[in-house]
Amino acid sequence: MRSFILILLSSNMFSLLEIEIIKGSDNLSKVAFVPFGIEENLDENYGLQISTQIEKNMLLFGEFENLDKAEMLSFPSSEEDFYYRDWKIMGVDYSVIGKINSINMLGNLNISYSLFNINRRIKILEGEIIGRENNIEGIAKIISNRIYEKITGLKGIFDTKLAYIVNSDAETFQMCISDIDGKNEQILFTSAAPIMSPDWSPDRKKIAYVSFENGLAEIFIQDLASGERESIQALGMTNSAPVWSPDGKSLALVVSFSGNPDIFSYSINNKRLVRLTNHYGIDTEPSWSPDSKKIIFTSDRSGSPQLYEINTQSKRKKRLTRDGNYNARGRYFPDGKSIFFVHGNDGNFQIATKKLSSRFIETLTSTSLDESPTISPNGNIIIYATKDGSKGYLGGITLDGKSRFSLPVKNGSVREPAWSP
Amino acid sequence: MEPFGIFILAAICQFYSCAQNVSDSVERMQYASVAGEEYLEGEKIETNLDDKVYFDFDKSTLDASDKNLLEDYLPAIRKAKIVRLEGHCDERGTREYNLALGERRALEVRDFLIIKGISGKKIRVVSFGEERPIKNASNEKAWAENRRVEISLY
Repeated sequence: MRSFILILLSSNMFSLLEIEIIKGSDNLSKVAFVPFGIEENLDENYGLQISTQIEKNMLLFGEFENLDKAEMLSFPSSEEDFYYRDWKIMGVDYSVIGKINSINMLGNLNISYSLFNINRRIKILEGEIIGRENNIEGIAKIISNRIYEKITGLKGIFDTKLAYIVNSDAETFQMCISDIDGKNEQILFTSAAPIMSPDWSPDRKKIAYVSFENGLAEIFIQDLASGERESIQALGMTNSAPVWSPDGKSLALVVSFSGNPDIFSYSINNKRLVRLTNHYGIDTEPSWSPDSKKIIFTSDRSGSPQLYEINTQSKRKKRLTRDGNYNARGRYFPDGKSIFFVHGNDGNFQIATKKLSSRFIETLTSTSLDESPTISPNGNIIIYATKDGSKGYLGGITLDGKSRFSLPVKNGSVREPAWSP
Repeated sequence: MEPFGIFILAAICQFYSCAQNVSDSVERMQYASVAGEEYLEGEKIETNLDDKVYFDFDKSTLDASDKNLLEDYLPAIRKAKIVRLEGHCDERGTREYNLALGERRALEVRDFLIIKGISGKKIRVVSFGEERPIKNASNEKAWAENRRVEISLY
């Protein structure tokens, strides 16, 4: 009897994740999101919808605080009506205003928006965007990204997605993706057997993961648009831990030939497998450096799991961690200068970071069963899996220390988050 | 020593086949073989022997009591067509590392069985890492139960 497998491609079935801010910093920048103005004879709702959606995005990870609409002294929609004094007096650092200029017969909205730095008394951003009236969320994401980038200097992440595994009961495992705000959840694959290790292709069109549907660990690549799944027939007992190379042409993965797991590079086009490590110890959890030149991996060759990196050309290896007896599942930061990983300390497993140039390990989290950290493409936020009792949920932290948040799931357990590029 | 050992094993074999009341209840199920081979279907042989050996955290070594348990299992294993060894871990540490560790544990059992004369050809090894806990709880007792290799015969 084949294990029961169901492939579903659905949207908006139910929204599982919702970000709850646990702790924000006391000195966050305060932003006023003024309801967008509207030309006469247009639907007034659009104005408020857009500003509210931008506000939700910007507050999503607890990086800013907002000025309540009830406290606003004026509702300007253009520069002529904008008075810095009205915002300075309310302790506002930035104000976002905008206006819906027109809607054409095809349902396209023309929207202009501006961002003001109140303390410096200057307009720092001005933009115009055309978008469909039925895609207010999408328009708001683009505007939010630009505002976020202007204020923080970091790329906006409001159009990114999250992949994760939901385990609603012992016999139901689901591979899911959703927008980063938890909306538009899709179940890509449901199985009675465990699913593990999701990883996004750099073009966000595919996800590689491990499924036990045939009774042992096998790697599958699933196309998100078509739902089609393809298994990678790498020989060996166990195939696991697939991670896409930055150019999308290869997967780093683990193949265990006759029970000895080693790191390989697998070329997706010609299906060639190139061995990168060859050691009798456990070598697993590979991940590429942003420049593709190195792969970080976990090995117990020293007697306990520690992180190493290997130069994919010269095959030279270097040990990266020495403190503590458990440092595993390392990933590089987008700038390639630091790594984040799971650090075991006194029986607690927490998310930690380390600069490659220093010995010092910095622990970021304070719960005891933290694992599977994933980083935002702009390098500023880490989401990880943790547990409360028997229930798994996702936690998050901004690396500037401004905010901690959680993404609880309504039913069952959620784990192994993977942030899309 | 050698003939005597074989005699003892044969005697144990005899003993188990009668006394251990090998159950008739069989369950048709699929089990995994080594990737690249065909998936075989077999009938699971139910026994009332202890079918799990347990491990310390981040360890895959068998202690004396584990070896005794496996010794007790040998006669039934000899008769079975296929021995499936399923390695598991507790939830601590990382998932992919645990997948490899579970495989290590199952291989440790396989190696012991091979030393005891079981053909490696009929042993199937699979690891579920920390994905299939017996006890879904976060305490020492649950962790100890979850760090195991399960033996099943077909």
